Amino acid sequence: MTKDNKYISELIYQLADDNFIHSYRGSEWLGLAPHIEEDVAFSSINQDTMGHASMYFELLETLGEGSVDELSHNRKPKDFRNAIILEEANGSGTYLDQPEYDWAFTVIRHLFFGVLKEIRLESLNQSSYEPLIHTSRKIQTEQYYHLMHWKTWFTQLMLSTQEARDKMEQAISRVWRDFGGVISLGKYGKEISDLKLIASEDELRSEWLRRIHQIFDQVGFSIEGNPGMEQGNGRNGEHTEDLTSALNILSEVYHSDIDAVTW
Amino acid sequence: MVTVRFSELTEEEKYNHFMERIENDEKIEADDWMPDEYRNALIKLISSHGISEIMGALPEKEWVPKAPTINRKLSIMAKVQDEMGHGQLLLRVNEDLIKPLGRNRENVMNDLFTKKLKFHNVFHMPSPTWADAAIIAWLVDGAAILTQTMMLKTSYGPYGRALKRICQEESFHAKHGESLTLALASGTSNQKQMLQESLNRWWESLLMFFGPKSKKDIGSSSVDINIKYKLRTKTNEQLRQEFLTKYVPKIKLLGLTIPDETLRFDEEKEEWIYREPDWKKFKQVVSGNGPKSEERIALRRDSYKNNEWVRNALAAYHQKNRVFAG
Amino acid sequence: MSEEKFYEEFEVFSRKKDGLALEHKFSLLAPNREMAFVMAKENFFRREPIKELWVVKRSEIRMMGQEEREGFKKLDNKHYRETKGYTDLPKKWKKFQEKAK
Repeated sequence: MTKDNKYISELIYQLADDNFIHSYRGSEWLGLAPHIEEDVAFSSINQDTMGHASMYFELLETLGEGSVDELSHNRKPKDFRNAIILEEANGSGTYLDQPEYDWAFTVIRHLFFGVLKEIRLESLNQSSYEPLIHTSRKIQTEQYYHLMHWKTWFTQLMLSTQEARDKMEQAISRVWRDFGGVISLGKYGKEISDLKLIASEDELRSEWLRRIHQIFDQVGFSIEGNPGMEQGNGRNGEHTEDLTSALNILSEVYHSDIDAVTW
Repeated sequence: MVTVRFSELTEEEKYNHFMERIENDEKIEADDWMPDEYRNALIKLISSHGISEIMGALPEKEWVPKAPTINRKLSIMAKVQDEMGHGQLLLRVNEDLIKPLGRNRENVMNDLFTKKLKFHNVFHMPSPTWADAAIIAWLVDGAAILTQTMMLKTSYGPYGRALKRICQEESFHAKHGESLTLALASGTSNQKQMLQESLNRWWESLLMFFGPKSKKDIGSSSVDINIKYKLRTKTNEQLRQEFLTKYVPKIKLLGLTIPDETLRFDEEKEEWIYREPDWKKFKQVVSGNGPKSEERIALRRDSYKNNEWVRNALAAYHQKNRVFAG
Repeated sequence: MSEEKFYEEFEVFSRKKDGLALEHKFSLLAPNREMAFVMAKENFFRREPIKELWVVKRSEIRMMGQEEREGFKKLDNKHYRETKGYTDLPKKWKKFQEKAK
């Protein structure tokens, strides 16, 4: 592998794993959302997002990193490059047993991620690595609806009851503490942006802050400073127990019969 | 036909007019005059059908993230999503029927939580392996397609329109289920065994799915009323026979053994002979005392209560923004 | 607080592609029209692409009652509104054509 390829795949792992884990956390809500109509709408977003992960895994496959299903089902937690805030569980309990999931946390995490994803896609449109241009253009077509969906939820909950406002503000500070990890490009960030694969971390961050503050302004909310990275940097293979248990679930059947050729 | 002035008709004349429309295969709409017996039969049928779709999402939900490839993850996610979507369509149809009685979705949910509202027997059963996701999608959905297709011509217009959408999507579910089943049936011995064990687990429930042959099996049945009002056209037994004709040869072709050594097609009577399911057990299961009833109702109830603040918040947002949001 | 206000009825309309009229699809429950709109898309158009989507609060629609539905009938005596009321024209044209010969 050339050195450039190493940085290319490093970036694509980040994009693939972010979407993969984010979609998984979303899919745990299936059947449990606050409203049946929302359950259906939310599930489409999760399917789209899993589809995006799959497209990035395909790029890795062409780079010789392994097949799509090996990459998604047969890597150790330390090999995952997703941001830590995206692996964090939706709440206490599991998706099958006494899930006490937090809708405010979910709305904030999805909104923050959606805004950054949009910025990343716009930047990937200019990437020096052509396959990323094609993939990002395709993904962009679905991003419009995702953002509209989460902005609607955000605005309405922020402008409703005091109870909802409190929960939402709590969720904002919780996600804020670690969202720096999503903006991060990891230890090879400088090389990645020097190669013009994507904009630099600083550029991504300032554009994200600009758009988030715009959204905050509309509901009379403000927050100081930059988002943090308190639990560590997932781009460098640092993860929590939440990722380990998520991956165990995601690959349970895949690992149940090592001789199986087709599923 | 002469113009009908409803305000001037007696109850009996209204009933006769209604039955005449049923006989003429006209479709009844939500705000049409209808006898209580018809409304109640519809509410019973459609609320139970709708809530079964919602509860039907749960046994498969377990396997959504666990599905063994990305494509399987996507297709089962889409399939379970459709079940929720079907629940949405049917609950909406039901909500228009219960509205004049002063009831709404919240009441229906509470009826589910207190076990007043019953759902299909199959969704009270455990689904411990990936093969259950295959058998459910192939055979439970296969059974559902037969009943739903039969009701496409139902006399109640809104139900028919919902079923039309549902049946279109069910054809995807059938393919999804077939695909999962065929992969396992052509897989390793472990995979085949897993599939066989799942079939063993589901067989009796599948036969039960269509309901008892006659009233005497469980003590009550609404089949007669449903046929009288052209809500349905076939009996439970006719559907069960259709199911056996359609699926027994396919199951055998895959090398699977059906766990009923008495099962055979009687050429003379032109019908399947099978071991009668335990209808006492059926009644117990649908009353909410099946192996997974408590757990699944609790899952739904807890998530509904846990998210109550969200619904209250948006109800308040609506009030606050009335002028703008309309 | 009662959740009643959360469950408002909205009717959903869509246009499948250019050149076609809007068509009624189904209904859903939502607290307001913005929410109804974002949910309508994936509840009813998961598979088919659409050009346009409308949601309308049901209470804003003047619907028909049964008496009106059954009462809105017409006599079949309005041929003058339709082309079939003018089937004699070719014959008349023919006469002119013959005269011109």
